[in-house]
Amino acid sequence: MAIRIVTDSASDLPVALAQANDVTVVPAYVIIGDETYKDGVEITADQFYERLGTLPRLPTTSQPTVADFQEAYQRLLAQGHQIVSIHVSSKLSGTFNSASQAKAVMGDDSPIEIVDSQLASAPLSLAALNAAQWAREMPDYRELAQRVRQSLSRYHTFVLLDTLEYLQKGGRIGKAAAFVGGMLKVKPILTVRDGEVHPLERPRSRERGRARLIEMVRDLAPVRQINVIHSTDRAQALAVRSELSEMVEPEGLIESRFGPVLGTYLGPNALGIAVTQGSPDGP
Amino acid sequence: MASSQQTGLSGAELRRAFRQAFERLEEYRDTVNALNVFPVPDGDTGTNMSLTLRSGIERCPDDDGLSAGEVAKELAQGTFFGARGNSGVILSQFFKGFGDALEGCETCSAAHLAQALDRAREAAYGAVGNPREGTMLTVIRRAAEAALESGEASDLMAVLEIAYLASCVALKNTPEQLPVLKEAGVVDSGGLGVVVILGGVLAGLAPERSLDLSAEAGLEDIIDDSMASLGDSSKSQESGFVHQSLEADWGYCTEFIISGQGLSPQDVRQYFEENARSTVVVGDPENVRVHIHADDPGPAISYGVSLGTVSNVKIESMDDQNVEWAAGHSAPASTVGAELAVVAVAAGQGLAALFMESGCGHVIQGGQTMNPSVQQVIQGVQRAGAENTIFLPNNKNIVLTAQQVAANDPTVRVVPTRSIPQGVAAVLAYNPLSPLEENLAAMEETLSTVTTIEVTQAVRDTSVDGVAVSLGDYIALLDDQLMITAQSPEAALEQAVVLAGVKSDSILTVYRGADADPEAAEASASALESLVPGIQVDQVYGGQPHYHYLASIE
Repeated sequence: MAIRIVTDSASDLPVALAQANDVTVVPAYVIIGDETYKDGVEITADQFYERLGTLPRLPTTSQPTVADFQEAYQRLLAQGHQIVSIHVSSKLSGTFNSASQAKAVMGDDSPIEIVDSQLASAPLSLAALNAAQWAREMPDYRELAQRVRQSLSRYHTFVLLDTLEYLQKGGRIGKAAAFVGGMLKVKPILTVRDGEVHPLERPRSRERGRARLIEMVRDLAPVRQINVIHSTDRAQALAVRSELSEMVEPEGLIESRFGPVLGTYLGPNALGIAVTQGSPDGP
Repeated sequence: MASSQQTGLSGAELRRAFRQAFERLEEYRDTVNALNVFPVPDGDTGTNMSLTLRSGIERCPDDDGLSAGEVAKELAQGTFFGARGNSGVILSQFFKGFGDALEGCETCSAAHLAQALDRAREAAYGAVGNPREGTMLTVIRRAAEAALESGEASDLMAVLEIAYLASCVALKNTPEQLPVLKEAGVVDSGGLGVVVILGGVLAGLAPERSLDLSAEAGLEDIIDDSMASLGDSSKSQESGFVHQSLEADWGYCTEFIISGQGLSPQDVRQYFEENARSTVVVGDPENVRVHIHADDPGPAISYGVSLGTVSNVKIESMDDQNVEWAAGHSAPASTVGAELAVVAVAAGQGLAALFMESGCGHVIQGGQTMNPSVQQVIQGVQRAGAENTIFLPNNKNIVLTAQQVAANDPTVRVVPTRSIPQGVAAVLAYNPLSPLEENLAAMEETLSTVTTIEVTQAVRDTSVDGVAVSLGDYIALLDDQLMITAQSPEAALEQAVVLAGVKSDSILTVYRGADADPEAAEASASALESLVPGIQVDQVYGGQPHYHYLASIE
């Protein structure tokens, strides 16, 4: 009997890391034409991006159902575990809502705490991983949930996009609408602030954007973890990773991939960096 | 008049004197314009000074009961709002100082006049961050100094005459102070404007003395010498551009050609000056080209038809919808009531659309050849309607105008962009969600990162910075320095880019003007791309007039 962490596929937590840390990832859905796929399970990132360029209509997404969460929670509860379930920002997705309803259906006295991370993707995966670490030494799921909530301000993320088209057509553009424009092909840098997409800068080229991402991360030092994430250009991600490798211990450097659900909104050539602020031996 | 010279000028006399000065300046406007030694089409000094002074005169009520102090104050107010271009701003500050000195004075005595000229000098110098000698400032200063030295015992006319003579001497001396004038063999244009105004004031009070003194100072010789150095300047005046007046700039941009026999470009120009805005009329007795801004283009075309055959008619709406339409799918969010807005000056539909989609709350149509007035800047800020405004003048001759507005309105802040490319870099650094000060810092930081290239056609024969230029040459300027003359606008652009130096990580942005050929521009972009491997070349339709290309290297 222990505390187990549940998250959703909008965390883009790599499968290997999820397994190693006993984190359950509940997949959202990506809908292409008439077909619905479980994110990362029934369609891989490679398959998704290969098709993305050829589709007559852009894909859409759908949050995990209440039943999906019920099933995941019941399995863990049956094994005698308590649950802290950490999810993508409720301002970007109905996932938190599905999870909360699942808990309500199962009875409010079930040992489940649901956390609205106000994050999305790479920083959310860091939050889930760190929660899994803390779960090993904490006896009570409510205390752990509290600790997770208090730690959320330490996660920062910067994402460099090729275009805002996908975010705009997908209806998730939020405040980044201020950066929409087509005459100059700027490469927007965005973040997630207060649970929403928030515009930061508009460099004129990808190279300059990448350099700015690195500067922004360096400005946050000291950092404990760095998660470099990409949609289609792995070489670019690896270059960034090696530039930032000196900032953290080797185990604090993570590589991940924007899955089909995130890819629906970010498009090809997206590059992101998430960090956990704090010193390596800090809490 | 003799009695008033003893006791001082009444308000009515002061008003008549400056009205005469305005009329004199109108007479000399083309001459002052011609002295603009730089061969590029830009805001003409004579036009800017004349429109500024007109705004002052129009503000003065036709009321003979006003005191001298009241008239001077109205002149100061009027010229402030009408100030256009650097010379107009300096002139408006001259009147500000003049008006401040006469505050509360029923009449203007000799002593008052000397003091007022001195205050005017002080205010004029204060208008510019880095005053240069050999300009209209020097002419103002010498006039003021001479007036003070003439002693308060002199009578008013004597003070005025001494000041006028000193201004003529100072004007004649300007080429010795400014090498660029020496090279072109001309006196300073703004300086001539000041001399003409002082001469006009004198003429308004004592017409015959004005003529005598002008002859004594050899003013006509000074002007003739300059004109001779400029060569066939009348040619450049007629074939290049021209003369314009710019008021509130909404409605329809209307252009056409009238063909016929014995046409008078002067008469046509005068008609449209009275009946339209932004009037530009050029031509000869057979063909007259008309460019105007009008709320209703119908009567303008009817007028053309009454004179001859009308052809090449082009009518474009200039209102907000049009700018938003040009911005394509992303009609920008309104900034009315917002905490913060950016307002920019740009000429050309493409550039206006670019600034709008990049986050501007309003774009004032204007730029190099149309310097907006203080009043227009204020109106632009009001249209954006935000609590605070960041203003991008995007032209070196508009920076001062914008700063005048900011000096009187703490909610307006100026990022002193001197060119369109600087303005674009600045607006891209703007984030409407960030606080004002953070935005100002980020936007100002971009100013030093941009090299600006401007390609246009020379509007006169001249020699600048050792480069000989003939009327009609394509020329390229690199950060305001004339660098290249070439046979085509594309060649001028490409040579300027090479001269500026580009690296593999440079970003070159080319804004194609209304006069550039799209295919030639495309070919040129390819040529530029192959210049250095890795260089990014972005081509955008700017639609700006007169400048075939604007370009930035970042």
